[in-house]
Amino acid sequence: MLTVQDLVKRFSSVVAVNGVTFTVNAGEIFGLLGPNGAGKTTTIRMILHILEPDGGSILYNGSPFTEATRNVLGYLPEERGLYKKSRVMDTLVYFGELRGLTRTAARERAHLWLKRLELSGQENRKVEEFSKGNQQKIQFIASVLHDPSLIILDEPFSGLDPVNQLLFKDILLDMKQDGKAIILSTHQMDQAERLSDTLCLINRGAVVLGGAVRDVKQRYGKNTLHVEFDGDGGFMEHLPGVQRTLLYERSAELELETGAMTRTVIDAINPRVELRKVELLEPSLHSIFLQVVGDPADGQGEAAQ
Amino acid sequence: MTKAFAVARWEYLEKVKSKAFLIGLFLTPVIMIAMGVLPGFFAAQSDSTSRTLAVLAKDNSIAPVLAERLQSSYTLPSGLPNYVVMPLIASPAMDVKVLEAQAVQRLEAGEFEGFIVLTPGDSVVEYRSKVVGDFEISSRIRETLHGILAEERVRELGLDEDILSKLHVPLDVRIVKIEDEGKDGGGFEKVFISAYVFLMMLFLLIMTSGQMLVRSMIEEKSNRIVEVLVSSCSPTDLMVGKVLGLSGLGLTQMAFWAAIGIAVSAKFNISVVDPAQAGLLILYFILGYLFYAAVFIGAGAPFNTEQEAQQVTSYLVLFLVLPIVLAIPAMKDPGAPWIKVLSFVPLLTPTMMALRIPILMPEWWEILLSTVIMVVSIYFGMIAAGRIFRIGVLSTGKTPGFKEILRWIRTG
Repeated sequence: MLTVQDLVKRFSSVVAVNGVTFTVNAGEIFGLLGPNGAGKTTTIRMILHILEPDGGSILYNGSPFTEATRNVLGYLPEERGLYKKSRVMDTLVYFGELRGLTRTAARERAHLWLKRLELSGQENRKVEEFSKGNQQKIQFIASVLHDPSLIILDEPFSGLDPVNQLLFKDILLDMKQDGKAIILSTHQMDQAERLSDTLCLINRGAVVLGGAVRDVKQRYGKNTLHVEFDGDGGFMEHLPGVQRTLLYERSAELELETGAMTRTVIDAINPRVELRKVELLEPSLHSIFLQVVGDPADGQGEAAQ
Repeated sequence: MTKAFAVARWEYLEKVKSKAFLIGLFLTPVIMIAMGVLPGFFAAQSDSTSRTLAVLAKDNSIAPVLAERLQSSYTLPSGLPNYVVMPLIASPAMDVKVLEAQAVQRLEAGEFEGFIVLTPGDSVVEYRSKVVGDFEISSRIRETLHGILAEERVRELGLDEDILSKLHVPLDVRIVKIEDEGKDGGGFEKVFISAYVFLMMLFLLIMTSGQMLVRSMIEEKSNRIVEVLVSSCSPTDLMVGKVLGLSGLGLTQMAFWAAIGIAVSAKFNISVVDPAQAGLLILYFILGYLFYAAVFIGAGAPFNTEQEAQQVTSYLVLFLVLPIVLAIPAMKDPGAPWIKVLSFVPLLTPTMMALRIPILMPEWWEILLSTVIMVVSIYFGMIAAGRIFRIGVLSTGKTPGFKEILRWIRTG
């Protein structure tokens, strides 16, 4: 569906995107990951033809961008924004029209979508009267109303309660089933890990990791001890045989040094906390992200957002 | 182009429904009428009901005549006398001071609103009232008294009654003549008001819609709707749509105001402008509107907050205000070279022409040349604004400098 080849974008002296290459296929959720300022948004803007690339090419189903391409693109920006004083239906019809729908078609589809997102009967209320989460739903509808074949969602889950996150997830999976290509740009690694089929990790304007999520994780092998426990796990920051620790309130990810014995590490932990679960698995995407992006202190701050 | 029309339709309908637009739509004509029509209206009809006065004198010699003359000479439009005057004559034994004191009491009690004090042999006549700002009454007292005294002199000199009646005529003529002058003044006022009304309308129209444009652009920018807009349709479609929608808004406003203007001028029987002038004024309205739309887009797009944008747009307001300031000198000498020169500066052309047309029709070549200049300015203005818009509307970091914006225009 989408082929991005050697994409380059410079802003005066800064190179924001430096030779990014990836492919997004129909019927696939593609996780576009990376720390803040990595060049994700710039890449997305070039795909959406908001910015002109300085180099490289973007092909949509094998063809370069034309005005008609606009009508197959759908975009949910990270910053939420709608016309506050306008009515929901008017807003949706307008955005539908801008993506090439007729007013009648836009209105019909808007009704269906509002029903699906449990907002039926509120067509004539003003946007500002809705809660943040519901405004996000409206904006989501605005981005997919015209049934785009390439959908770019920037942090679609932020600000949603768990029930609505689930609702969104179902919709995304349905759209994937329908053969849409979905680019999911997010900082929430657990979401990306659960939803994405393929990922592309960008750092400092370049792709540092890419491929099917399964392959990427296998590349790292089963070298990580996932531990759940009760008690103070502070001591796990510095354990012999462990090269990197991700410590949470009641769990930890311990990445073993090559040749380190699993049993030695467990024996070191066991007397000091109440162990609930120990599992040797691939590292989480979160952990991989931190390893690849580097500086863990800095990276943790990013990932925590 | 369908998308441009969708944008235009949206911009038009959403803004027509906004409170700011509705308030402007109704409030502006009210202000305009208050400013332009009411002072003239009040000046023409200073009194609508009769006013009660008194004439106070020591003897019977002049006071009753003055009272009678004041009452009979000036009438209200309704036919009633403008002044109802009662003479207050002191008895021979009575001191005038006592009479005056009584008169003040009666004035306080509201029996009359002022009284005239005549002192025989003295050339000073006093008019005492709580309201002393009325210049009209003092001149009328002077005129009337002047007539009476002249007649008295004639009689004293033992001249013919014929001469008296002959003398009486020129006195009347003199009063009429003042009213004639007043009519001339009315003519001047009319030109002044119509030029002013058109200037103010153009000014308010461009100001309100220009600011609406800037505000909506900055809103779209700050909540990132603009990213969705620019990915949905080309920046050209977006800009053309905005200008079209806003022009529709301006035309709606103009049509509404014009309807009010026609109704008001029909009601008060004043012709503000003739149809030939109106056609030209509309032409300059549209040209000015389009040009300023481009200018406002270019001036507003690079900024991230309304405050920042306002610093620039307030300079634009200066250009719009300048002809209003120049209205009076232009009225005195509409053919002055500097006025002609200013008429060809694109930012000033529409307002300068709106000012000049009701005063003195500019020559045909001036109209042609200024129209050509405006059309060319609009063309290049739109291209430049489009380039600034395309880049500026997406820039959210620090506000670009003037040099940076010039680079945007050059590189497109």
